[in-house]
Amino acid sequence: MFGRIYVYKLKEMLRNKYVVGWNIFFPLVLATVFYFGFGNLISDDPDNFKTINVGYVNTNQEETNFGMLLEEMSKVSDNRTKIVEVHEYSSKEEAAEAMNSEMISGFYVEDGDDISTYVLTNGYKATTLNEIVREYKNMYSVIEKVAQEHPENLQKAIDMVSNQMEIMKEHDFGTNTSPYLQYFFALIAMSSLFSSWISTAMLEGMCANMTETGKRFEVAPTNKLLAIAGCVMAGLTIQSVSNAVLVVYVQYILKINMGAPFINLVLITTLGSALGISAGVLIGSFIKNERLLVAVPLVFTMGCSFCSGLMWHQIRQIIESNCPILNRINPAALLVDCLYTRATYGKTDMYYQDILIMGCMVVGGLFVSSLFLRRRKYASI
Amino acid sequence: MSQCVVEIENLVKRYGDKVAVDHFSLNVNEGEILGLLGPNGSGKTTTINCLLSLLKYDKGIVTIFDKEMKPEAYDIKSQIGVVMQNVAVVETLTVYENVDFFCGLYIKDKATRKKYVEDALEFTGLTEYKKYLPKKLSGGLLRRLNIACGIAHKPKLIIFDEPTVAVDPQSRNAILEGIRKMNRDGATIIYTSHYMEEVEELCTRVVIMDHGKNVANGTSQELKSSLINRETIRVGLPDKSDKIIAGIKEINHVYKVKEDGDDLVIKCDGGDHNLVHILSYLNDNNVPFGHVSTELPTLNDVFLEITGKELRD
Repeated sequence: MFGRIYVYKLKEMLRNKYVVGWNIFFPLVLATVFYFGFGNLISDDPDNFKTINVGYVNTNQEETNFGMLLEEMSKVSDNRTKIVEVHEYSSKEEAAEAMNSEMISGFYVEDGDDISTYVLTNGYKATTLNEIVREYKNMYSVIEKVAQEHPENLQKAIDMVSNQMEIMKEHDFGTNTSPYLQYFFALIAMSSLFSSWISTAMLEGMCANMTETGKRFEVAPTNKLLAIAGCVMAGLTIQSVSNAVLVVYVQYILKINMGAPFINLVLITTLGSALGISAGVLIGSFIKNERLLVAVPLVFTMGCSFCSGLMWHQIRQIIESNCPILNRINPAALLVDCLYTRATYGKTDMYYQDILIMGCMVVGGLFVSSLFLRRRKYASI
Repeated sequence: MSQCVVEIENLVKRYGDKVAVDHFSLNVNEGEILGLLGPNGSGKTTTINCLLSLLKYDKGIVTIFDKEMKPEAYDIKSQIGVVMQNVAVVETLTVYENVDFFCGLYIKDKATRKKYVEDALEFTGLTEYKKYLPKKLSGGLLRRLNIACGIAHKPKLIIFDEPTVAVDPQSRNAILEGIRKMNRDGATIIYTSHYMEEVEELCTRVVIMDHGKNVANGTSQELKSSLINRETIRVGLPDKSDKIIAGIKEINHVYKVKEDGDDLVIKCDGGDHNLVHILSYLNDNNVPFGHVSTELPTLNDVFLEITGKELRD
């Protein structure tokens, strides 16, 4: 039963010009528009990890462990690109002026035990500079102890922290760092949420109070949840394939490096499709009005996509600064964040956190929907 | 005695203050074609929806094949076929795929289903259109596809909810003939309509609904027999003197005579040869007359007498 419904629903959707048009071709068209709009602004050289120019202000003028670490990191070793190029400044104002004139990407101010980081923009440079301080603070107690008890081994300890930074650079970072890439990720997120239309339309087609074909399902000796599961899987397949096609188109035809291996991207976008499908099923399970079933997914998709940066990439950062919870519950923002984090910073905690939240949303959405649908024994025509 | 396939007892369905079905009871016996007749809004479709457990009702018991009907009564549902009032097919699937898809909700075995689908297509005359999409079909063929989707799994009880609405006469006749054939093959049929001629022609028993109630129940003949007026004779009569009218009133079974323009309308409460007797009287008394027509009562007359309004108000 499940298999037959799945196969027929696939056929049904592949012959539906609205599904083919909106879910498959429209994202490709929009990707092309984005490409011609700002494709050339996207830095896509995966091997070119550029050295970060960073300012350093030491208010105490004494040699510090952090200063030694920065010095170590600015040395070239084993033909590898050095992580930072340190420029010392005498005051915070002088460093800020250098940053504003884009001579440096950020600067540190070390005042006793306190190290402050100042960065100009978001992106991998800002993250790297923050990461260096975070990593240093993690290792601080170790370095302090070594300095006090075994000063002869201090250089080794600093080398260890420095190597840690190298490992972070080489293995953890993604391969694309352009903020403009967010538009393509927001496009994938929008495309994924389009699948909410598919699932609401499918639920509509299975409810007797909505459509005549729904009556056929309701009078048939078929387990409703099983039938809906068949439909949902068909919708998920269509949307996942559509997203994979979009990734192939962007990455291999438009040649925009999306910063992660293809399989990894497909898995993330498939999770995004599941998120859209789950949202659609949830909407369809408690809305019984035919017009609302069209309007709500539309508003949901466009609203979430806008807030994830489809039209203006900095909206997500603004929301993150003012109301971060919105970014944690907006499925499109989660998907963009997940893809962006993967592309820019690699598989960080944030990346896994996004995946976990999305996974919980999918499972939670389907679970709540199934409760709603199980309760709806009668059609209420 | 034939088995009772459907039993509805005291069914009540309310929409707020409005009572759509009001203590409605009905029995349908095996092998019957039961006509459920009533004007629009009389509660026919609501009753059918309650019968199919599509609607939750406020009171009453619905039993089908000796088991209480519930939404999860899959064993009962598997023996029921429903032909909806509106066409219920998937626009993007071909004729064959539509029938196969809906038949597949009932029949799991692939080989059996294939045979059943082919039988249904042949039965409805759609074999040559099996690769067509529904939008390429005419209105009549679309109705036939609707029927094929509802009956392909060879159900024992088939419910037709006004299947001939907006259908041309040729297709209507084909549909009615098909229903007779299904009945001959053993299916019990419930047929709702507000076309009394169809019901009269097709159904072995008729139930008339009005305001959600069962207002009449019997064969067409039984229902018409219950009327006082059994025959209406209209005669074009230039001379309508009191003497002639009084003479006609004296004829056996004539219970009412009234003038209607140039015509005299004579109502009879029984008898077999009323027209012959009236014409003999006119001849015997050398009364000239023009056109003559006679009308037997219809179900509409039954309905008119019971409820005081026409079926298609």
